[in-house]
Amino acid sequence: MDLHTKLKILGAAAKYDVSCSSSGSSRRNRPGGLGNASLPGICHSWSDDGRCISLLKILFTNRCAFNCLYCVNRATADVPRASFTPDEVAQLTVNFYKRNYIEGLFLSSAVYKNPNYTMELLIATVKKLREEYQFNGYIHLKAIPGADPLLIAQAGKYVDRMSVNIELPSNAGLQLLAPQKNRDSIIKPMGFIHSKILQAKEERKIYKNAPLFVPAGQTTQLIVGATPDNDLKILRLSESLYKHFSLKRVYYSAYVPVTQHPNLPAIAGPPLMREHRLYQADWLLRFYGFKSDELLDEGHPLLDTEIDPKSAWALRNLHLFPVEVNRADYEMLLRVPGIGVRSAKRIITARRYSSIDFETLKRFGVVLKRARHFITCRGKFYGERNINELTLYQMLKPASGKQSGAEPSSEQLTFSSLYPNLFQPEDFHTVITGEM
Amino acid sequence: MIYYIYDGSFDGLLTAIYEAYYRHQEPEKILRDGSIQDNLFIEHVYIKADQQKAQRVYNAIVNKISPAAAKKVLYAFLSEAEDAATTIYRYLKLGFKLGKSVDSALADPYVFRVHFLHGKVSGEAGKMLGLVRFRLLKSGIFYAPIEPDYNILGIIAPHFKKRLPTQDWIIHDLKRKLAAFYSQGHYAVVPFEFNGALSLDDDEFDYQTLWKEYFHNIAIKSRINPRLQRQFMPVRYWKHLIETPGGHSKS
Repeated sequence: MDLHTKLKILGAAAKYDVSCSSSGSSRRNRPGGLGNASLPGICHSWSDDGRCISLLKILFTNRCAFNCLYCVNRATADVPRASFTPDEVAQLTVNFYKRNYIEGLFLSSAVYKNPNYTMELLIATVKKLREEYQFNGYIHLKAIPGADPLLIAQAGKYVDRMSVNIELPSNAGLQLLAPQKNRDSIIKPMGFIHSKILQAKEERKIYKNAPLFVPAGQTTQLIVGATPDNDLKILRLSESLYKHFSLKRVYYSAYVPVTQHPNLPAIAGPPLMREHRLYQADWLLRFYGFKSDELLDEGHPLLDTEIDPKSAWALRNLHLFPVEVNRADYEMLLRVPGIGVRSAKRIITARRYSSIDFETLKRFGVVLKRARHFITCRGKFYGERNINELTLYQMLKPASGKQSGAEPSSEQLTFSSLYPNLFQPEDFHTVITGEM
Repeated sequence: MIYYIYDGSFDGLLTAIYEAYYRHQEPEKILRDGSIQDNLFIEHVYIKADQQKAQRVYNAIVNKISPAAAKKVLYAFLSEAEDAATTIYRYLKLGFKLGKSVDSALADPYVFRVHFLHGKVSGEAGKMLGLVRFRLLKSGIFYAPIEPDYNILGIIAPHFKKRLPTQDWIIHDLKRKLAAFYSQGHYAVVPFEFNGALSLDDDEFDYQTLWKEYFHNIAIKSRINPRLQRQFMPVRYWKHLIETPGGHSKS
């Protein structure tokens, strides 16, 4: 089989893994070597689905012993199979890298024969790249669930980032769709990698040249919409992963219906809007100081698809607003819909020097369409008066038709299913005009 | 009203700022030669670039304001925006009064504009780090043409020096007819023009094809989103890529 066909099969097979980032590592080039890592990461292209291409993302092989129902490469699927050799992967990586197509390699694999055997093949490849090809660019390696911790420790010395995909947010989901995996085979390696990272960091405090271990940290991926797990459950899981394992990122992947099975939900397309809202909520957890139980609770376990989670939170907490932009502290500014990290920082910096007027807010990148309902500026309120939660909700909604990535109609998640008691826009009209 | 006219070089601009200070003049605008509007009420003063005077101004920025301010000024200059020179002049005037805290005075329109231009230029430079595409020539040199909005060649060259130290490479800004030539640890940025056909290495075509195929295959069909793609990678940057974005059309 020629290289073109292999790359076609094994590149396409890896595309459902959403992680692409090349950030978090500042690995330096060695004399005579090729490449280095860039701390903030670099995107090299954007594919037609709008996702960034940073790393050469491929599977080592798609010959799989497991039969996870949601996966294109499951053992019983009728798809063409292929495997690379370590040299082929190294050659491709180096030649793409020299032409600046990519930032490095993202190497994953199906479980070929057994987890340990696969892990050994992956280690042989990254070792070859680092030692024979003198490659110092970014390498992201998948840890195969169920592989021996010794092998994972060995791999960690060569790579910048490692990830174990949780995929399904609950044990029940795993039993239903991925019977050969279980919670322990996934969580254990994550805990192990975490402790090794901490240990390596401690060692580097004492010995400057102590070996690196996964310097860019670990990540994971959750599939959204393949099991009945709700957003609250997913966000709580993410929150505890950030807290206990110091994960760099949790990626959310809208379930793409690649196959049909009685245990899988029947949906027309991937739930993209739900994925988008989860990412927004994830950002609120990591950069805006929110807790998962502020965003959702048992009574409302799903994120609103119509408005963003921060606006939804603000609407439930109208008693905290409006806040004065010239006085509110950073934490509170971050909680105002329409103010992001960058504009909040600008406000804090600028008002040290002089008070800020409304025009300046616009220049600072504050989205006034949303923010004006929640702030005062030099004591003046710029929003609508005599307004309640419901009318504000309508105003914060994006105009219909403008919304990108709206749900296909057969998706079970609709506005009315989330808020059965709220008015639909037409009803709302009749309420204010009094006509029926 | 006085307008200062400088030669378009960074030294020229700094010299103009030097002269404004020592002549106790306050030019309404500082413009590059060739962008002058004629008006009876405006006196044009031509400033000759002087490297020593420029160096003194630059040192003053570093010492009296901050090294970060010097970087912002340089980047704002590289934006080649029409108002860049005047904006920098006003920013520095305030800067010499306030010292390093000038960068907190974001409510001042000139300070904000310098920050804004700095952001635009460093943003494009960052994007270019990824979008530069080298082609391997028969001569063994890696050649990459670019056409950036701003003059970012000098900003990105050090990155490639660190990253690809063992190969010879050229990054060619076709718009400004400038090229960075790198070989064995050193690079130079010089005026350069070249319009002929490239003579590519024998393996080059194969790797280009591999990359094109990979690029096409990596997109998930049910998520095709041309708008998002163009938002991250504006169409004007596509010209010198190897891959062909927008190959899938949404059905």
